[in-house]
Amino acid sequence: MEPILKFDRVSKHYPNGVHALKEVSLEVTEGEFISVIGPSGSGKSTLLRAINRLIPISGGTVWLDGQTVSNQHGKGLREQRRKVGMIFQNYNLVYSLSVLQNVLHGRLGYMNGFQGVFGLYREKDKREALDLLKELGLEQFSYNRASDLSGGQKQRVGIARAIMQNPKLLLCDEPIASLDPSSAKTIMELLRDMTQKRNIACIVNLHQLDVALKYSTRIIGLSKGEIVFDGTPAQLNDEMIEKIYGTSRENLMIGGNDDDKADTADCA
Amino acid sequence: MNLNSNETAFEINLKPAVAKRTARIPVKCKQKNRFIPVFLGTVAVLTILSLWYLEIDWGKMASRIPDVGEVFWDLAHLDFANMDLVFSSLVETISIAVLSLLYSLILGIIFGMLAAKNVFRIPVLSVVTQSFFTFLRAVPTPVWVLLMLVCLGMGPEAGVAGLCVHTTAFFTKSFAQSFENIPDETIEALEATGANRLSIFTNAILPAALPQIVAWAGMRLETNFSECAILGMVGAGGIGYVISNSLQGYDYGTAGVAILLVFLVAYCIERIFVRIKKKFS
Repeated sequence: MEPILKFDRVSKHYPNGVHALKEVSLEVTEGEFISVIGPSGSGKSTLLRAINRLIPISGGTVWLDGQTVSNQHGKGLREQRRKVGMIFQNYNLVYSLSVLQNVLHGRLGYMNGFQGVFGLYREKDKREALDLLKELGLEQFSYNRASDLSGGQKQRVGIARAIMQNPKLLLCDEPIASLDPSSAKTIMELLRDMTQKRNIACIVNLHQLDVALKYSTRIIGLSKGEIVFDGTPAQLNDEMIEKIYGTSRENLMIGGNDDDKADTADCA
Repeated sequence: MNLNSNETAFEINLKPAVAKRTARIPVKCKQKNRFIPVFLGTVAVLTILSLWYLEIDWGKMASRIPDVGEVFWDLAHLDFANMDLVFSSLVETISIAVLSLLYSLILGIIFGMLAAKNVFRIPVLSVVTQSFFTFLRAVPTPVWVLLMLVCLGMGPEAGVAGLCVHTTAFFTKSFAQSFENIPDETIEALEATGANRLSIFTNAILPAALPQIVAWAGMRLETNFSECAILGMVGAGGIGYVISNSLQGYDYGTAGVAILLVFLVAYCIERIFVRIKKKFS
């Protein structure tokens, strides 16, 4: 199957001398749910933003849906970007606008200049947005200001905005880092179910190893700008974890798994 | 040994305090800012030079102080005989202030968009726009109105045009700042949807900056109104013309009414915008 996304020896160095990505190569195919894990500063965020060129890369090529992204500008770039939905840790909504308006922002990439500038959305798009909000259980908030929502609800609006783009690929930059455990679970389940249903490939940056193990079909481990692990959750053993985080498993807060309970029992 | 030395130290510390009762504990920073004495000295020298240059006759000024009370007493004798003239010119002044505010709001949003560094991400564009309007702002409003009077002739048009120049320059700078305060992440999120820069501006940056724009507009309407009152005196029509005319004709009663109305309107504008601002935030 033709890959949705292909990185060919992609490098990024920042002007301050940091090498965020070092000749990274990878392929992503339809329907994959990939978690990218690694310590802070390992290049997770850069990797994600290199895909839709929010950060221009310094070397190599990024292929998206059979076309390059890395050398695109203007209209061509915008047409590539709208194929990629994005979700952020801090939701990044426009809080003075209604929930529905925020969801409809996902259509801006498809609208011509005049319609886009004045926010003249098509009735079809509006209906789709309302249906999406219903699916996410936010129907009754459609006409509330986005600032009135709770964190988990804001993130659901973020998901709706990304899905409105009708994307081939969904990028999530630490989507649950600011959420309470219960909202985090809802969001992860929504991400998995909605991408599965629509056959959208999904790449999630995560700090929570247990979440990565539970939801992903594939895990990529980054360390100092290099892929040090790329495989299924089952293949991610203690040795690999140590390689990714540069420290042994005991020194990591992995979260709610059975080992911890056993440890506590031993202590007692 | 240690104890002993401590004791002697204590005694040494104690002795001067007992001997000199006036010695005070210092409270200021040890490192003194050397700029402050230089600044104060310069101000003192400049003040003396100005007084000397202007040859102000303090004696004459003091002898005229009773006149101040007299003039205000005359002003307080409100004369409502010319009410229709006062009222129509007040309406004219308000209209000039409102019109110039409205035009400047539209122009300010457009130029503010060009001047903000995060909207189009073309550094040259924002630098050029910013510096052009800095130049316009450096010239005060009455000068612009006088220039417009020369170009457009006497009347309210010159007032509107002159006020617009300065107000637009002011709005361009303040709106650009408000736009730049919108978090980069919000803009990034819209970029990721494939929206173009102008759509990002109208759909995200502008709505997010709207409360600040309203606040700036309210503040500026107040300023424009009071400036408009002054501008009448240079010939741009409105209540200022009535005030200066009646003062020159010793018609203090009419001038008093006009001044009181200016005060009332300015106060009302402020109160109204305080309310609007509360609703917006």
